[in-house]
Amino acid sequence: MRPRRWRRGPFLRELREGALSAVELREVDKDYGPVRALDAVSLSVQTGTLVWLAGANGAGKSTLLRVLGSLTRPTRGFVTLFGVDPFSGGGASVRGRVGFLGQDASLYGELSIAENLRFCARLRGAGAAELERVAAELELAPVLDQRVRTLSQGYRRRAGLARALLGSPELLLLDEPWNGLDVESAERLTRLLVRLRDAGGSVIVAAHAASGPLPRFDRTLRLDAGRLHADGVAA
Amino acid sequence: MSGFSVARAVLAKDLLLDFRTRDRLGHMAVFALLVVALLSIVLPASRAERLAWSPALLWVVLLFTSVLGLSRSFQSETEGGALALLVQAPVDRGWVFLGKACANALALIGVELWAGVLFAVFLDVDWSAAWPAALGAGVLGALGLAALGTLLSAMSVAVRFREFLLPVLLFPLVLPVLVLASRITGEALAERAVPALWWAAFVLYDWVFALIGYFVFDYVLED
Repeated sequence: MRPRRWRRGPFLRELREGALSAVELREVDKDYGPVRALDAVSLSVQTGTLVWLAGANGAGKSTLLRVLGSLTRPTRGFVTLFGVDPFSGGGASVRGRVGFLGQDASLYGELSIAENLRFCARLRGAGAAELERVAAELELAPVLDQRVRTLSQGYRRRAGLARALLGSPELLLLDEPWNGLDVESAERLTRLLVRLRDAGGSVIVAAHAASGPLPRFDRTLRLDAGRLHADGVAA
Repeated sequence: MSGFSVARAVLAKDLLLDFRTRDRLGHMAVFALLVVALLSIVLPASRAERLAWSPALLWVVLLFTSVLGLSRSFQSETEGGALALLVQAPVDRGWVFLGKACANALALIGVELWAGVLFAVFLDVDWSAAWPAALGAGVLGALGLAALGTLLSAMSVAVRFREFLLPVLLFPLVLPVLVLASRITGEALAERAVPALWWAAFVLYDWVFALIGYFVFDYVLED
């Protein structure tokens, strides 16, 4: 077993001293049986940052996003979002500050987009006005009453994004968000991400370089076989 | 958002999905019809003998039928990745469990009523005097089956052989429900008073499994 390098004391002291960031990971491992999907990943993301999570297929990008989205508990290590452990008893409150869009739209195929968004809005404490604003922003009005399973991939992606934006999350986690979008929608999404960052939100996007019209990221994180290899400003 | 509101939202969503797709309820109803029709052929013709067998057979039919429905309880969540929507919601996940368990319990109560009609038609079971106690056993049985079945269904959601795993886990654990429900139904059909202790044990069992589900669901939903 590899020796651990983190110590809890200094980490908690930093938190007490107010060095809070949107995301803090310390020596996070995630194992799926014998496969190590994340290997000693340490990471800090400040608020108001647009981060590109790059890496080849199977590098661990989706797993890292799922850990940050409280969908997957890490095997070892510490995770805090806005200073709170999302897997602790207080995790519910911090999950409300995080929006997550995985590779699926995470919507019910037999419900219409409006029904899906209303259900999500109820769970996330968002009002009708916010629901309308998000639906308008992603130009979903023409298909609001259509069942999700009847929609094109692009509309499903936009509906999934609308779901993730409900509740005005301060941290947005997006896995290949440009997949299935036409050029116009992809550019609109890029502008939206920049606007969210400028408004003080943090956005972490897992994407391939050829995914779409990538914005100018503040940081690039490169994962390779579960290990974080590079951390720098995007060119 | 209060816990009740979360449970109510999940319950309303699941009922709407059941109404829209109809396949879960439809499959359970057809399965129950086929099994009871077969029983009416193979059981002895004597009404007294049929009556003696009916309570146990009714609950075995309901148990097998419920497995059919419970194994599809998370199908809508797994198909479009909607499970992430529930897991990531900023709510106490225990209330999500209670909402889903209530939806399953209502579906099972519907199937129980249908099975009651089938037993009356095919096996000549007379519910006229027995229905209050039988209905009580039905409601408590549905709650117990739904509490345990929802939890186990969530646990087996990512498993390859979930249709096999669910009954293997469910049947031994649900044995007290099966015994109590069939005994109470038998006493009711024989027009005898049901001991209060049986009711108390039934309520206690349901309560314990609802509580376990409420507290464990948080961990079950994560990978």
